[in-house]
Amino acid sequence: MTVTKSILLAEDNPRDAELALAAMEEHHLADKVVLCHDGAEVLDYLYCRGRFKTRLHGNPSVVFLDLKMPKVDGLEVLRVIKADDQLKPIPVVMLTSSREERDLVQSYALGVNAYVVKPVEFHEFLNAVKESSMFWGLINEPPPEGLGPAADRWRSR
Amino acid sequence: MPVPTESSPEGFSVKTVSEERAPLPSAVPPLPTNEPDSSAHGPGPLGVWSHGSRWPIEHRVLAGFGLVFFGILVISAVSYRNTTVLIENSRLDAKSHELIQLLDGVGVALDDAERGHRRYLVTGEEIYLASHRTIAERAPEYIRYMKELATGVPNQQALVDELERLITQQVVAESSATTARKTKGYGAVRQMALEGAAKKQIEAIHGIITRMAAEENQALRRRVGESTSSTRSTIVLLGIGALLLFVLLATVYYLIHHDITERRRVAAELQRRGELLEAANKELEAFSYSVSHDLRAPLRHIDGYAALLEKNASASLNEKARRYLSTISESAKQMGQLIDDLLVFSRMGRQEMLRTVVNLDQLVKNVLHDLRHDLQGRSISWTIGSLPQVQGDPAMLRQVLANLIRNAVKFTSTRSLAKIEIGCDQSNPSEAVLFVRDNGVGFDMQYAAKLFGVFQRLHRADEFEGTGIGLANVRRIIHRHGGRTWAEGALDQGATFFFTLPIQTVSP
Repeated sequence: MTVTKSILLAEDNPRDAELALAAMEEHHLADKVVLCHDGAEVLDYLYCRGRFKTRLHGNPSVVFLDLKMPKVDGLEVLRVIKADDQLKPIPVVMLTSSREERDLVQSYALGVNAYVVKPVEFHEFLNAVKESSMFWGLINEPPPEGLGPAADRWRSR
Repeated sequence: MPVPTESSPEGFSVKTVSEERAPLPSAVPPLPTNEPDSSAHGPGPLGVWSHGSRWPIEHRVLAGFGLVFFGILVISAVSYRNTTVLIENSRLDAKSHELIQLLDGVGVALDDAERGHRRYLVTGEEIYLASHRTIAERAPEYIRYMKELATGVPNQQALVDELERLITQQVVAESSATTARKTKGYGAVRQMALEGAAKKQIEAIHGIITRMAAEENQALRRRVGESTSSTRSTIVLLGIGALLLFVLLATVYYLIHHDITERRRVAAELQRRGELLEAANKELEAFSYSVSHDLRAPLRHIDGYAALLEKNASASLNEKARRYLSTISESAKQMGQLIDDLLVFSRMGRQEMLRTVVNLDQLVKNVLHDLRHDLQGRSISWTIGSLPQVQGDPAMLRQVLANLIRNAVKFTSTRSLAKIEIGCDQSNPSEAVLFVRDNGVGFDMQYAAKLFGVFQRLHRADEFEGTGIGLANVRRIIHRHGGRTWAEGALDQGATFFFTLPIQTVSP
């Protein structure tokens, strides 16, 4: 199975990011991963601006979002993605420490595709990241894509 | 061994119902009372009726109104009596005045008759007999009227009788003198004409009339004195009574006013405390949220990097170093479990509670179904009695049963044949006493009160796993349902965990 699309991982904590990457490495997915350190970078990536101005166009196959991030938090990013017709089809997976009910409720209300609680135990964490990135990055058939009007709109600014 | 080995054979007879609550958050200060001595006799910290007496306010107000009512009754009775006396006296006064007048009239009339009669005796002219005839005719009528007026006064009655006798004598004497004058002429009655036919009687009659009049006047004076003093005492009584009633009513008003003020203060205080509690609760929620989110991350990193280290450097690590690494991982996992349990426990206190009819039989079945993997390889004899329907939150009650049954399974793991009994005592119509009994390792009753505390364990970590939060959760849930929890047991002789739930009343 080949993966052409990128996997977007939003994680402000470098250790969590490293652990997640180590987990994805098990399936050789790590080189597909684009790491963003806050919600603003995620939006920059999706709208091809800032440090991602020159990236190849196209939506990622999946976005992994942490809830608590600097600048723009996970829920806010989710809200923007699901409110944009071009971005809406991208599967979004919450990857968070929080098991709080209100986070779950809000995420699903905004249209999240999956909600994964990061387990403390590394092996479980490994499995969770591996399996969800496996599913969304490899097994799941992503929505067909052209150059979205959203990207055009943002580039013209 | 942290658990002493001496076990009490009477352990089963001791029942520990420890009802301690989770401590209030420290953000809520103790309630201040504005009465420094309220703790000395007040029934509680809020001291609603703690004002100087052991009588509740209702009784004191009632007593106050009772006294006021009694006072009004006494004043009314005394006033009534005095007024009656006044009325009676004025009636008697009228009678006295009439009697005095009548006596006067009779005296004058008798004198007239006597004078006229003497003239007749001298002149023989019949015309002078008119007064005598009138008296003779009307004397009985006067006497009767006098008797009527003198009724009830024995002295006067006797005098009236005497008067009657004398008047009759006078009339008779004068009549016989008249007859003598007619038949025998002036000569026969000359002496009488000079002195009067009934001189003695007339004098006596005047004496009696004077005495009677004097007596009546004296009675009049006596009654005037009596009426005056009675009126005065009535006025004084009314004055004092009004004053006393005013004081009583003022006291009662003060009591009620004080009570209302106190109640208002307490209500305001309660509201303030409620607001503080709510704020504290919000703070707690924020706290546990950040615990949930931030405290777990470093643990994940510890475990994660330990795992990565083991993976990448396992070739160069000796046995000891590998053991260290696995200990690091184990500890991180354990702390993760503790945090998770603590979060569940804190959520349990805040979570909204459902109130529906819960079928406990079904819940037990569900719990056993969930446990089926843990039960593999175990031989357990189950005795499950019929359980009632109760009112409560199904998810929470399921957690209670799951915790207790899981505990029973866990602490019988050393038994070759475990016996677990789940049952209910419904002899009390208002609450169901449910129990989960096992023949496991049991516990020493002297630690029974500790069982339901947060993170309280009676066994070493390598004997039985667990974080010590399960029974604390059970207690919290049962308390929120309005029930109680307690445990009985003896070391190595099994344990029984009890909890009560209000029974679902059959609504029509």
